[in-house]
Amino acid sequence: MSIEIAGVNKFFGDFAALTDINLTIPTGQLTALLGPSGGGKSTLLRVIAGLEDADTGSVTIEGTDATAMPVQKRNVGFVFQHYAAFKHLSVRRNIAFGLEIRKRPKAEVNAKVDELLELVHLTAWADRKPAQLSGGQRQRMALARALAIEPSVLLLDEPFGALDAKVRKELRDWLRRLHDEVHVTTVFVTHDQEEALEVADEIVVINDGRIEQVGSPDELYDAPANDFVMGFLGDVTRLGGVLIRPHDIDVHTSAGAPGAVAGEVVRLNRVGFEVRLTVRTGDGEETAVVVTRADARATDVAVGSPVWLVPHRGATTVAPLPA
Amino acid sequence: MADAIPTPLDGGVLHEAPRRVRSRRGPLAYVLRAVVVLYLFFLVVWPVSVVVQRAFAPVDGKPGGIGPLWERLTDPAAIYAFNLTLTISFWAVVINTIFGVGISLLLVRHRFPGRRALSVLIDLPMSVSPVVIGLALVLTYSTSLGLFGDVLQATGLRIINSTPGLIMATAFVSLPLVIREVVPVLEEVGEDSETAAKSLGANGWQAFWRITLPTIKWAVVYGVVLSAARAIGEYGAVRIVSRGAEFNGETATLLIQNEYQAFNEAAAYAAAFVLVVLAVLALVVVTVLRPQESHRS
Repeated sequence: MSIEIAGVNKFFGDFAALTDINLTIPTGQLTALLGPSGGGKSTLLRVIAGLEDADTGSVTIEGTDATAMPVQKRNVGFVFQHYAAFKHLSVRRNIAFGLEIRKRPKAEVNAKVDELLELVHLTAWADRKPAQLSGGQRQRMALARALAIEPSVLLLDEPFGALDAKVRKELRDWLRRLHDEVHVTTVFVTHDQEEALEVADEIVVINDGRIEQVGSPDELYDAPANDFVMGFLGDVTRLGGVLIRPHDIDVHTSAGAPGAVAGEVVRLNRVGFEVRLTVRTGDGEETAVVVTRADARATDVAVGSPVWLVPHRGATTVAPLPA
Repeated sequence: MADAIPTPLDGGVLHEAPRRVRSRRGPLAYVLRAVVVLYLFFLVVWPVSVVVQRAFAPVDGKPGGIGPLWERLTDPAAIYAFNLTLTISFWAVVINTIFGVGISLLLVRHRFPGRRALSVLIDLPMSVSPVVIGLALVLTYSTSLGLFGDVLQATGLRIINSTPGLIMATAFVSLPLVIREVVPVLEEVGEDSETAAKSLGANGWQAFWRITLPTIKWAVVYGVVLSAARAIGEYGAVRIVSRGAEFNGETATLLIQNEYQAFNEAAAYAAAFVLVVLAVLALVVVTVLRPQESHRS
């Protein structure tokens, strides 16, 4: 077990940033800490790195108690949202930094840096300054710099948050492939559920300083522990007293299906390939439904149409928490 | 680590829109420009040029030109004065650079009670008259009046009417200059690269030398040049803490005043000319540094 976090609490003044965190992060996997802004996920990452001290509890990395260890001794690679490039040093010197601090022989440093430059595809840029690189290139440089010290864990704090949507998507595909190749235990923080679902082996959902659920992307999506997790991983609506995803609802234009909830279409909105309906059901509840354009045409629904709503077979539903 | 993993083509270069200054045309713009040029001319350019001109002009029947100017500047009293000014300025700048960088790091990188008060206190030397500063130093450190007068007398350490006092007074008046240059740069670059250096194994000292100092280098140089210019030109505080007599605590600025009042105007103009040249040099250095500063990003 690579990282063990036990009984961690962290307060900033009166604000409880982390409350009773117990978590085991397995070796060699890519784990996402997912949650809304201010939920404590970055604080947890910084506690693992040793950039923040937990008020109580312990952090064990690769079997070594790291709770009182300063960041310099923990041998963790840390990658920042805004790259934290050493602006006055070339790409090569940036990557070599950790090895130079460790006073490794020059030949060894050069060989290692060449290898990493190739790994992150920056060989042609080795003598440039960070200012001459694009955002994506800078973040790859930061990643190579963190990997140079052969860290026991690689920690990434919103690594793609400062990049535009296209580069972001390319870079996270690339991170996934890089990880499959390098196999270093990796923890990354994100507030983007799509990013977490796509890249991570395991997701830890954190909200209000507490862990809501830990599991694989499929487990979380198919069996969310509560309404928060369900709502955070995708759109959610209410149907017949339970929470359900809007695209998991079948729309019938005639009564008769078992368990159908009758209602009336009050709004209809076409967005690209999907049609979003708002249906007011008998008890005054408004349910959001998403159907494909073809389905909408086939059933011929319009505002004012009477419809009967049935959860799709195999749909995930969650009972809402009592308010 | 095995083969390189193909990377996506790079996009996402940040495009910084060139900052455009709206160029105004029309009668008002010309009037404003004329006013500014006239203002600067009458207030700065003309008086300074008169000093320069007088430095080279014949005085009291003696011929003018570079030769006599050089003669007046190589007079032992003048050499002593410039030597003293440079010594004082050097130590004041060294002290203010070391403390300035330290205080800047403290102000930007640490949160502690009284931080805002400290920040305000640092600006005090800028707003208090140098004469008052000189007076305060005399009241505190002189052997007769000073709070520690007896201690100083016992140890035989003279501060007032001596070079240490001059250095203290000069350091006091130029205290904020390095700090006010360094603090905004430290704030702008943030803490991430220092933290990154530490995560890569650097201790605090290594992070400072290898990362922080190169980052603030130009701000420090800029602050040093400003401090040096301020220190060389300081008069008020120095007047109070120094005896200000020939070969006895007479700095370049005091020399100018003394010679001028002794109707030895030629020597005063010569020394004044050197101060003008030093000031222009400082301006040139600063102008050369400024563009480099914006290249840093």
